Formats: sequence, C-alpha cells, structure tokens
Amino acid sequence: MLLIGAVAFAATAAVALFIPWLPEQVSREREGIDLTFWLATWICIAIFAIVAAVIGYSFLKFRVRPDDDSDGPPIHGHTGLEIAWTAVPFALVIAIGVVSAVVLTQNDKARGGNANEVSVTARQFLWTFEHPNGVTSGTLRIPVGRSTVLTLQAKDVIHSFWVPEFGQKRDAVPGIETRLVITPKRTGTYPVICTELCGLGHSLMRSRVIVLSEQEYAAWLREGEQAGGEPADGEAIFAQAGCGGCHTFGPAGSTAQVGPSLDDLPDDPEFVRTSILDPDAQIAAGFQAGVMPSFREQLSDEQLEALVQYLLGGSQ
Amino acid sequence: MTATTSETHAHEAQHAPPPQGWRRLTAPGWLRTLWMAPAFGALGMGIVLFFRWLGGWDPLWDMQPIVTVAGLVAFPLGYLAGIGCFDYWAYYISGGPTRPEDHSGHGARRWQDYLRVNTDHKVIGVQYLTTTIFFMLAGGLLAMLVRAELARPGMQFVDPQTYNGLFSVHASLMIFLFVIPAFAGLANYVLPLMIGAPDMAFPRLNALSFWMLPVGGVMMLVSFVVPGGAFAAGWTNYAPLADVNPFGNVFFQMGVQWAGASSIATALNFLVTIITMRAPGMTFWRMPLLVWANFSTSLLVVVATPFVAGSQFFLLFDRVVGTDFFRPDGGGYALGYQHIFWFYSHPAVYIMMLPGFGIASEVISVMARKPIFGYRLMALSLLAILFLGFSVWAHHMFVSGMADWLRIPMMITTLLIAVPTGIKVFSWLATLWEGRIHLDTPMLWALGFVSMFVIGGLSGIYLGAVPIDIHVSDTYFVVAHIHYVLLGGSLFTIMAGIYYWFPKMTGRMYNERLGKAHFWLTFVSFNATFFPMHWLGTQGMPRRVADYADRFADLNFFISVSSFVLGASFVLFLYNMVWSWRFGERAPANPWRSLTLEWQVSSPPPIFNFDEIPQVVGSPYEYGVPGARHAVLNGAARAAELEEVPPR
Repeated sequence: MLLIGAVAFAATAAVALFIPWLPEQVSREREGIDLTFWLATWICIAIFAIVAAVIGYSFLKFRVRPDDDSDGPPIHGHTGLEIAWTAVPFALVIAIGVVSAVVLTQNDKARGGNANEVSVTARQFLWTFEHPNGVTSGTLRIPVGRSTVLTLQAKDVIHSFWVPEFGQKRDAVPGIETRLVITPKRTGTYPVICTELCGLGHSLMRSRVIVLSEQEYAAWLREGEQAGGEPADGEAIFAQAGCGGCHTFGPAGSTAQVGPSLDDLPDDPEFVRTSILDPDAQIAAGFQAGVMPSFREQLSDEQLEALVQYLLGGSQ
Repeated sequence: MTATTSETHAHEAQHAPPPQGWRRLTAPGWLRTLWMAPAFGALGMGIVLFFRWLGGWDPLWDMQPIVTVAGLVAFPLGYLAGIGCFDYWAYYISGGPTRPEDHSGHGARRWQDYLRVNTDHKVIGVQYLTTTIFFMLAGGLLAMLVRAELARPGMQFVDPQTYNGLFSVHASLMIFLFVIPAFAGLANYVLPLMIGAPDMAFPRLNALSFWMLPVGGVMMLVSFVVPGGAFAAGWTNYAPLADVNPFGNVFFQMGVQWAGASSIATALNFLVTIITMRAPGMTFWRMPLLVWANFSTSLLVVVATPFVAGSQFFLLFDRVVGTDFFRPDGGGYALGYQHIFWFYSHPAVYIMMLPGFGIASEVISVMARKPIFGYRLMALSLLAILFLGFSVWAHHMFVSGMADWLRIPMMITTLLIAVPTGIKVFSWLATLWEGRIHLDTPMLWALGFVSMFVIGGLSGIYLGAVPIDIHVSDTYFVVAHIHYVLLGGSLFTIMAGIYYWFPKMTGRMYNERLGKAHFWLTFVSFNATFFPMHWLGTQGMPRRVADYADRFADLNFFISVSSFVLGASFVLFLYNMVWSWRFGERAPANPWRSLTLEWQVSSPPPIFNFDEIPQVVGSPYEYGVPGARHAVLNGAARAAELEEVPPR
C-alpha cells in the first residue's frame, strides 16, 4: 500500500510540478496568491495520495470472487482513528485559512506610499480607464513597481476585472464602487479579461494593460494631457470606444460578429450617427435590440463626427 | 420471508369501473387536461386583460404579463387540475359525503398506471427517475452543443445569444430537473421501504410534487423558442443582467418556482415520513445512512429553497411589475440578489450531495460486506455539513465587492466543511479495509464517486481560500470543480443508486457487463473532459465564453472530443436500462444480500410494501456479526423469541 501511495504521490506531484499551472507572475500580489496555491497543492497531493493508496490497495487486496459469500470482520469503528481524521484535517484547513487571511489582508492594501489611482468604468462590452490626470483610454497603463488602486464601477450590468498575470480580480457592480490593488513587478503588455458573464459580447470584452516604467508612464500621461486626453481622429476613437469588440470593420482589422458588420454601411451619416447614439432605433436583420449601449455620454460631438466619417470612409 | 405479489394483497379492493362516454372528459386524466389547461390559461389571460382594461392601461395586449400569468401560472395549474392532482382535496374542501378510498389511484398494475396521477411512492419514484433521466439527456445534449461550439476558437455553429442560452439551460436542467429530483426519486422509492413504512406520509402531496416537476423543465426548454431566445444569464441569473435578458428569462424565473415547489413539498413529505412512520424499533440510531442523508437534505430544502424562489420572484417583479429590488437606477442593490440567491444555492450544493453520501454508504457497506465504519460519526457529519452549509454562502462572492469583512469568516466556515466531509471519505475507506469487496457495477460507481469527489473536494479548498479564489473565480477552474462535485459526485452516486436498486424496482437484473463498460467509459472520458479544465482556468480562460484565446485551442478540442465520448457512454446506460427492464433476468428479492428492509420484500415489492409491519431489532449494517438481524418481518412474537436465543 505504501508503494501505491508513493506512486500516486509521485504522479500527482509530477503533474503539479511539470505542468505550468499558473501564468507568469507579474504582480506582488501574485506572490502571496502563489504561496497559498502551493501550500494548498501540497496538502491536497498528500491527501489524494492517501485516498488513492487505500482505494487502490483495497481494489487489489480485498476483492473477492462473485461466489464468495463470506462477510468481512465486523469492525464498527475506531475512536482513535476517528479523532485523528477529524483533528488533522481541522489543523490543515485552519493553517490554510490563516495563511490565506494574512495574504488577503496584504493584498488588499497598497504597498508603500504614493499609490497610483485609476478609475475604471465597465460597460457592455468595453473598459474605460481614467488615469490620474484625467487621461481616458480603452487601454490601461500603469507604472511598474508601484501600487495602483483601481476604483471600479459599472454602467449597466456586473463585469469583472481580471489580469491573470496579476492574479487580482474584482467585480464592477452597478450602483456601488469597488476597489482592487495591483502592484506590477515587470513591464510588458497583459490581457484584461472580463470574467463575469455580462451579456452577448462577454467573451469579447477584452482590453490590455500596459505596464510602463515610471518615466514612460509620466511621459505618456503628459502626452495625453497635451492632446486634451481625448483622441480626435476616427481610428483612435474606434479603438478607444471598443467598437471592434463587437463589429467587423475592415480598416480597423476587427472581425468580431456580435453586432452587424460595419464594412457595408449605407452612405448615410444621419443613420450612422443615430445608430451610435440610439442603437435600438433601427436593428439590422438577424440582430437583437438591447445589446449595444448608447455612446451618447461617451463621445463628444467632434468625436462622434470623426467616428462617423471614419466609418463611412471605410465602407466606400 | 415469503415472496408476496400484489395480486394476493389484502388491500386489493374492488375498483370503480372506468368512466364511459362523455364522462371521460370530466374524469381525471389526460383527456380532461386537454381542455382544462387551455381553459385555465384563457382564464388567466382574461384576468390580466380585465384589469388592464379596468385600469385603462395601454397597450391592452402586453405580452409580458399575459404570458407570465396565463402561460406560466394558470396553464400549468389547469394541467395539474386536469390530470387530477387536486380532485380529492377539491372534493374534500367542498364538503361532499365521504367516499371510501378504493386505492384505485395507488400502485401500478399496467404500464399506463405510470402515466397518471398515482399515489404509490414506488410508482412516483419510477416516474421521477424516468423523467429526470429524460431531462439529464436533454441537458447533456445541450452540453455537447456547447462543447461543439468550443471545439475551436471563434464562432462556428451558434450565435452568442444561443450559446449563452445553451449553457444556462444546460445547468438549470441538470441542477433543478436532474440531480435534485433524481435523488428525490430514488429516495421516494426506497426510503419508505427502508424505514418499514407502507408509503410516504402524504401520498397525494407526493403525487402533486412529481407532476409539478416537469412543468419547470418544459418551461426551461421552451424558453429556446420564445422570441428573443432562451434565458442567457447563466443558471445563477445575476441581476441586473437578468433584467436586460430576453423575455425567455421569465421562463427560468417561473420554471424555478415549479421545480422548487416540487422540491419543498417532497422534502416536507420526507421529513414527516421519517419522523413519524419508522417501523417499531427503528430508532434514529438504527436508521440506514440513506435515511439520515435524506433527513438532512430535506431540512436543507425546506429552509433554503424558499430563498431561491424569493430571489427569482423579486427578479420577476423587477421585470414585469416594475419594482426595484435589484435595479440600481431605482435604488435597488445588485449584490442583494447574490446574497439571497447563494443563501439557497450554496446549501443546494449539499442538497445535491448529501443523498449521494447516503447512497454511497449503503452500497459500500453492502458490497464490502462490512459494517459502515463509524456509523454515528457518519450521521453526525451529515448534520455538521447541514449547519455549516448555511454559513458559507458568501464564498461565491469573494470577488463581488460585498462587505470586505465577510470574507475571512466565510472562508473559515467554508474550509471547515472539509472536516465533516473528510470524516465521511475516510470512513468509507475504512469500511473498505479488510472487506470482502464485490466490484459489481453499483460498487464501481460508488468507489468512482469517492475518488472523484475527493478531487472535487480538494479543488474546493482552493476555491475556499480567498487569495486563490480571487485568481480562479469565474474561470474554467470553477467549471472543473463544479463538474467534479456534481458529475463525479452526484451523477456517479445517482448511477450507483439506479444500478443498485434496479433489481428492486423492476424485478429484473441489469446487464452487468454493460453496466461495467458504462462505468469505465464514463469514468475515463469524464476525467479527460474535466481535469484539463483546471489548467485552462488557472492559466486565464474565463468561463461562460463562446470564444477564447487561440493558445487554448488544442486543449479545448481535446476536451470537446472527450465530452462527446462522455455523452456517448450514456447510450450504453439507456440501452442497458430499457433492454434489462424488458428482457433482463428475473431478480431475486435480495441479490446483494443486504440487511436493510427494502431487500426483505419481493422484487418488485408488494403494492403496500409489507404484509405486516416489520419489527426492527438492530443496526442496518451488521455484516459479519454472527446471528445479527436488522429486522424481523413476522411480527413482534418472533422478535421476543429471537431475543431469548443467546447470540452465538
């Protein structure tokens, strides 16, 4: 039985060690998360090995022929064993609980002073990030080595902000504000994923987070401030507003099929304008009302015009 | 023990002749349903239209309230009234002269008796099982459509609305129309037999419980053809997404009411039956663990299920009546929905698990030929899970933005559930130890359950520990976990139970070879399907998506292929059940040499179960104890006589 147990232990340990279970660790918060993960994993491997050993051994050793009519020994229990398998799991789960509580408390707090603050707005099916000096974009940019506190809110339904490499996740809930701390350790670009089912475009509600060095971040913020924070050319607006998340549009290289394709729009600026501001006014055949949000509050008049021109330019 | 057949039973009374001519339209049955259900529906519609007209509301024809009231409430009531669920009560309430009970609505003498309102718990048990297996197959087909879409990244077969509908309806059917009622069906059949009772405490309520059930399932399936598509907010149906879902969402909200009402009524019935109808000598500490398990489960159901009913009613009112329970715009609290929903739906996980624990205990003890190890601790751990189960709901909400302080206490209670669960697993292992293990099909399923449930329980520890949960919440890790628990746990034990009691229910043996082939095929393809999902989740694939990153493509293709094998394995099951029921070898009364009471009567049992009330004299699991008896069936005199004989 020890042999079976050792084999089960070795096999599961190999599965745990040789398969890269967790994505690249890019945040300080992930350190604690990974620690808890591996603590739980080793405890679980040990328990699984014990269970597998007993079942496997019983399978081989205590199996009888169908015509064997004898009964087993009438063992009704064993107080010592029963106390042991109540007490030991109790101690183990309390250990996991204590480690988790410590990690959780740490991960809730911004590390060091001078935390960067970003306000995140989620709506079907796009993210908008408002950086410290009011620069707004569809892509999150944060500095490396310093905590960023995200304040999340949702406009319509519940969404959830997750970057697997950061390990941290928090829902954006309409009506309340929620908060999430991330402290990236490395520069690079990582995916932002909505993990809470938020409607038809849920699987396409993606963005990116770009971790920059402090200098690059400061430069980007300055640049954005000078440009007025709001891009005025149609292509940039298309990208920032997340149109490509749902619509196919050749010039922008998007191929999504949640909403109708924008490649063959009628040459009618009024129609395009209305469709952006009041999407349910006219619904293309085969699509449903109530899926696309209105962009009335999101776009200034100039931006709307630029976007309409861009869309119509592309469809000719 | 004499084998008794129904024909010789003393209760076999003269039945009234079947109605003739136009009276067939007014006698309870499907003919009456044909006109009564539409009549009730029309009445419901009339009520809505009358009040809309009275209030001067425009438009008069608003489909939402009309369909909700006429289609989802009144029409099903008409159907229940038509088939005769309310006849006795209506007659009784109206104060008519007492009619002697002729038991014509009790027991099955022809196969047609399974298609009408029947008060026999054994008939109802079979009705439950066949209905739930139908919905399991429907839910399984939906799952395979989901996997077909997920076999490759991008959209291939269905549009996003249909996709979201597929997984929502899949989960709802499997939970509300398969796992919960399948356990209720098994218990319905064996529980009264096990405690030595002639039937359930409230046979008519029992019949009503069953006939309400398909209403919920049909509503969920029909939602696919509702304009706008099926409900597509997941089985959790979170507000406010549910509010902006197509109208099909109301079909879920009302479907849950019907299935939930069925569940609550059955649970009440079980509780009263267990508390008041145990045979003489059957103390609580002599009850088989399946009875203990259903006792705990029923307590969970009666306390928790009203909460899910409430949560769905509030959603319905928000949509149809215009209230603002969960609408932030009107001052509602979106997370309030989740608190109420999970206050049911976490205990629901135990509602879907505890009866399985009971089945596993029965099968393992009998087929290892040993007393269950630590019987009292096994029973007490069920109660411990019951109590802890009510204090853990917020672990589904660790990332939701609820009050931060709730997380650590809820994490501790969640992790503590591992203790009673561990007790059960270790006790099953200890029961196997030095046993004489017969690896018949039910035992394979039971052992498969123990090993798979251990994996599901261990991944539950990851989800209980808040920091890990924050990373893997709402990813495929959760999908893997829930399927290890509900497929490896609940479905495996349901299969163990069906194979184990098949001889008792049908009087025939199933095909052992096919049963084993079914087990191994399911076991292997199940692991191939769901184990890789853990990796998908930790690596970054969220759940409930129709499209995913290209780097997950190969593994998803493998998972889809495995899931088709998993689906195909149930063809073996179906063939085995249907063929064996018709042509299987005749089953003896007690093929497993079990001590519990249901095996001490003929297979299938007489219509009123026992010709005389059994006298319980000992524990149900005294395998290997020389001369031990659980019960004697020929009266108290024999019991007294038995006690005089000194044990060898």
